[in-house]
Amino acid sequence: MVAIIETEKLTKSYGSHRGIVDVDLVVEQGEVFGFLGPNGAGKTTTIRVLLDLIRPTSGKASVFGIETTVDPVAIHRRIGYLPGEFTLYDRMTGGDTLEYFANLRGGVDLAYQASLIERFDLDPSRKFKEYSKGNKQKVGLVAALQHKPDLLVLDEPTAGLDPLVQQTFFAVLREAVGEGRTVFLSSHVLSEAEKSCDRVAIIREGRIVMVDRVDALRDLAAHQVELRFVGPVQAAEFEKIPGVTGVVAEDHVLRMHVTGPIAPVVKAAARFELADFVSREPSLEETFLAQYTEPAR
Amino acid sequence: MPARHVRPWSRVYGLGSIYAKTMRDSRLSFIVMAGLLGGVMFVVGAAIPQVFASSSAREDIVRMAHDLGSVAAGVAGKPVNVGTLGGYISWKYGPVFLIIASLWSILALSSTLAGEAQRGSLEFVAVSPFGKRRIAFEKLAAHLTVMTLVLVIMAFAGWLTAALFGKLPEDAIPPQAAVGFALWIGLVALVFGGLALVLSPFIGRGPAAGIAGAALFAGWILNGYAATVPAFRIPADLTPWAWTNNHVPLGGEYDWGSLAFTAVIAIVLLAVGLEAFVRRDLGASMSIRTPNTPRALRGLGGPLSRSFSERLPVAISWAIGLGIFGLAMAGASRSLADSFGNSPDLQKTFDTIFPNFNVATAGGLLQLLISLAFIVVGFAASTLVSGWASDESSGRLEMLLSTPLARSRWAISSGLGVYGAIVVMTVIMAVAIGIGAMSAGSDAITPMVGTTTLGLYAAALAGVGFAVGGWRTSVAAESVALLVVVMYLIDLIVPALQLPDWIHQLALTAHLGQPMVGVWDPAGVVACIALAAGGLLIGGWGMRSRDVAR
Repeated sequence: MVAIIETEKLTKSYGSHRGIVDVDLVVEQGEVFGFLGPNGAGKTTTIRVLLDLIRPTSGKASVFGIETTVDPVAIHRRIGYLPGEFTLYDRMTGGDTLEYFANLRGGVDLAYQASLIERFDLDPSRKFKEYSKGNKQKVGLVAALQHKPDLLVLDEPTAGLDPLVQQTFFAVLREAVGEGRTVFLSSHVLSEAEKSCDRVAIIREGRIVMVDRVDALRDLAAHQVELRFVGPVQAAEFEKIPGVTGVVAEDHVLRMHVTGPIAPVVKAAARFELADFVSREPSLEETFLAQYTEPAR
Repeated sequence: MPARHVRPWSRVYGLGSIYAKTMRDSRLSFIVMAGLLGGVMFVVGAAIPQVFASSSAREDIVRMAHDLGSVAAGVAGKPVNVGTLGGYISWKYGPVFLIIASLWSILALSSTLAGEAQRGSLEFVAVSPFGKRRIAFEKLAAHLTVMTLVLVIMAFAGWLTAALFGKLPEDAIPPQAAVGFALWIGLVALVFGGLALVLSPFIGRGPAAGIAGAALFAGWILNGYAATVPAFRIPADLTPWAWTNNHVPLGGEYDWGSLAFTAVIAIVLLAVGLEAFVRRDLGASMSIRTPNTPRALRGLGGPLSRSFSERLPVAISWAIGLGIFGLAMAGASRSLADSFGNSPDLQKTFDTIFPNFNVATAGGLLQLLISLAFIVVGFAASTLVSGWASDESSGRLEMLLSTPLARSRWAISSGLGVYGAIVVMTVIMAVAIGIGAMSAGSDAITPMVGTTTLGLYAAALAGVGFAVGGWRTSVAAESVALLVVVMYLIDLIVPALQLPDWIHQLALTAHLGQPMVGVWDPAGVVACIALAAGGLLIGGWGMRSRDVAR
């Protein structure tokens, strides 16, 4: 696979304030890459370095194989960007704003632009200052998408969008990926990352703490297992199984967290008369929260 | 409701109440206004007795004030005892003090509630356990407090400067006169500020400030020229300029009744403004439809045309104001020059004060009068640079630079857009000055071409702003404004205090020749072009190598 984004020990310091530290990332062509972390973790800083809006203190970043500080314009020619917070020209209409950005880029397919405006249900005749937060976000999204960029860099793209428009947005993303384009999506809405991303990275206090496929990350978190027996059962039988923690006995019910293979628990349960067995798969949110409840390295 | 416990340090930092927070937010405007009103009062009060040190010089000034043509007299104050320090300050600078204070009040009172409501920050305050009336009252009280402090400083500066620098016995400014002057400034400013406060909940901050500002300037012009144009009398009488026409306390003429009436009107407007804020929906305002901008001027082609389009309304606004001033000055130049020609003593006095200006000719006098426009053009350049810088400070630049637009290209192209707006501003001013000169029967072409100097000066200052912006756009406009004030003060103080000439030479304005009479200083022209071009290039270079701010 071709690496679209590649960073190597990327560090950005803001004097006494922490930015990002030794960030190593590889985003491959055609994938939707989720960049997760709470507020202030370093998501936006990483994105701004990738776009050469700010310069790294050390380390380096490449997009399309071009080092970001060497030829940012060549990179910008092939990307679409939606910042997490933005303002545009208050007195311009949404339509004029999109036309302006189309002119800055050149080569925008006006029919595709019109189809995006229609799909996002945007009224382009209103002035930017008159738009609601969600409609401003739609203008930003169309500006980022209208030229069919090879790489979409989207910082909190669904902020302010209603659920219907969110659905449209994810449909447009799927189409982009279907055409071989790449998406780098920063978010702290885990459910949307879980639903739309192939791989995710979790950033914590400026450092990448985990990068993997969404399903692999999910496996790292403990399954919640509930065993209901016909008669009384010894909790100690389960506590000694490797990977089992937090065993709680309540009448004939045992609850526990299981990390790793679940087969030893099933075998141990089979030695008793089992009435019911419930195992719930952890969500990405639980994986994420698990990362954040552990102390930072 | 639980009792509120506010920590002492919170109170000190201005976080204990809405009133204190508003005071805290006003600290910069307090420093600026106290420095401007108090500082100008002190500087002119120190300079005037040095310039007009003898009784005969004062007699010349009295004669000049009464000989002024009606056009120029309209923009000055009422000439009452202009042979005294206080009377001269009131006549020459009184309207300036009043306009500065009124603009401050208009901007503060149109933004403190409506502006904050439009931004959305007021919603957080509005849902705190206070009524809207109390919120509005505390914010208004804070503005009144800050304005009172500034006016006390100005009044004290007036009294002190007369005591320290007064040459003649009648130069003394008694406390009653200083307080009367400060009350006049404050109450009239509050009438215009109150008008903005009343309008802002209905039409929003910008239009409210615009209408109140237009009323301020219209009242000044209408009242100034009501004696010449009888049709102006009725609308002029609707403004506080006319109500307080006979209150010239620094000249020893008091009309406390007119101040009481002005105070009543100000209180009524402020009360109506508060009530309008309480009764209207928060942040809701009627939309005033403006004609659509022609497609060619929408600026959709690139950063140059976009910047030009964004800056054009501001440039035209400045050009209209400066154009009216230029029209009046050019129109008055002939009659004024004739007055000087018929009064050798007066001409001698002016030759002493302004040795480089031949005030007996219309062109020479126009050159002298138009020099005042440099400070206004400088502030115009500052606002244009501020607009240029707003691409970055507002966060737009982040989106613009994610397109295939190099940072230096943005800086240079959008800077050229600003220069385009300055060209438009200069052309409008030139046309106005040309019309004024023609109406006075003078040569129009020379002063029209000479107006180019104002444009060059504005472009040079903008160039300095771009250079600073290459390092940090957040201080670019402020740097230009500071430079304008410094150059103005050098021009004002150095000759008056007879300081070494090399200090005067530090000001760019000292190198601009007398283009209104066709005398150009090539060094100044080259310096302006170098600053404009060099500043733009430095700005573009600086942008290449630094982080883009959010």
